[in-house]
Amino acid sequence: MGKKILLVEDEKNVILGVRTCLDAVGYDVEIVENGEDALNAVNREHPDLILLDLLLPKVDGFEVLRVLKGDPETAMIPVIVLTAKAEEEDRQRAIDLGANNYMTKPFKPQELWDRLKSYLSE
Amino acid sequence: MSTFPEPVNLETITGNLADAVLMVDNDKKIVWLNRKAEVFFNAALDEAVGKDLVEITAIKRLRYLLDDVFEQQEALKCSYEEASVKVKKKDERFFFKIAINPVFHQGNLWGALVQLTDVTRFHELEKIKTDFVSIVSHEFRTPLTTIIVGVEMLKEGMLGDLTPRGKEVLEAIGADCERLNRLIDNLMELSRIESGTIYVEAESTDIADLVEEAVRPLKIQADKQGVELITDLPPELPPVAADFNKAVWVLANLVGNAMRYTDPGGTITVRVRQRGKKHFFSVEDTGCGIPKEHQEKIFRKYVQVSGPGRKGAGGVGLGLAIAKDIVMAHGGEIWVESDIDKGTKFTFTFPVYQEKDSITLPEADQ
Repeated sequence: MGKKILLVEDEKNVILGVRTCLDAVGYDVEIVENGEDALNAVNREHPDLILLDLLLPKVDGFEVLRVLKGDPETAMIPVIVLTAKAEEEDRQRAIDLGANNYMTKPFKPQELWDRLKSYLSE
Repeated sequence: MSTFPEPVNLETITGNLADAVLMVDNDKKIVWLNRKAEVFFNAALDEAVGKDLVEITAIKRLRYLLDDVFEQQEALKCSYEEASVKVKKKDERFFFKIAINPVFHQGNLWGALVQLTDVTRFHELEKIKTDFVSIVSHEFRTPLTTIIVGVEMLKEGMLGDLTPRGKEVLEAIGADCERLNRLIDNLMELSRIESGTIYVEAESTDIADLVEEAVRPLKIQADKQGVELITDLPPELPPVAADFNKAVWVLANLVGNAMRYTDPGGTITVRVRQRGKKHFFSVEDTGCGIPKEHQEKIFRKYVQVSGPGRKGAGGVGLGLAIAKDIVMAHGGEIWVESDIDKGTKFTFTFPVYQEKDSITLPEADQ
């Protein structure tokens, strides 16, 4: 069975791109479009990995990170941040909150696959 | 012609000037100041006279600038950015452009006239522009993600077969996406530098690592292009005091430029030499060269050099401006030597690392 990835992203076109990218290599993808739904979905779906945008409606990505990484139930799920925020302070803040990886948009599919593989291959 | 009812004196002339004007002797003691200076620095003329200029204005930089003027016996020659200061007064920030002219008496340097022009509004506009650039480059990243991911998947044939022409077109789109991406990175970098939020943390850095990191990603492209990329480093160079990523960026940018202007069969040489307390990094190509009249200009923002033999450069002319900012922030220098049809050599210096070396970019608005 394919690994399950939760994609938290609010831009329709980016969702299409990333989903296509993940489908192509056989991952199961669950999509939510805001931070609040993301937190609910994690408890419901138990994803193997989370791809998280930072600028999100309702609850933003930083807050999602803080909650997930602060909860022993969910802290072990790897989170890769996918964001247009390229400033060093944002990266540092996300890493401090427990993000496992930080990718700046735009990226190439290969970069995403490589990172996913490094967290999901066992 | 009507005459002014009383003898025209300094106060009459300077009383309504929008600029603060102060005269100092060659010991930097105030001998006179105009009304605007009195109001701004909250010091009446009779109190201020005889006091140290820096004490009254609280602008420390004036001391060094005056030293320069006294030493050279010439008016202060520096750019707008170098000669502007931020002044805090009652929680308000002001920016002043500084002009200093030496005053001579009987052929001897007697003192100087210091003129401070309020350029706060101008600074605000600069800030708006910088913020705008930052927002725009930020907003470009999201749509570019969709395009790049789509193009790459199509190119790899993961979404179906393509005609050869279709593939060619996608390759071109992919290459131009890369170009846009580089441009966005450059704009971001520039807006960071301009807003003063970037700072350079110079650490002990191994030169071989630095050069390798800058050159390696460009080797493949050089091979493709039929250009020989040579690195020439003496063994056992002492470490350089540099911010690794930024130094790599400068070097990679220069090599990337050289590749754009060098034809197949040409050579690009990256060389490092130590002289005294400086490391000299150079990137030399056998390309088309840069005309003399353009050599000064190329380090300015948004300047691109065109001319016979220059291929379409594919940039907006920010690379060298950023490179200069970064090099200067390290306390180094950058320059170019070039002969038409023979080649171009860019050289920059970084300090040799010394214990307890830590250079931070001076705050742009200090």
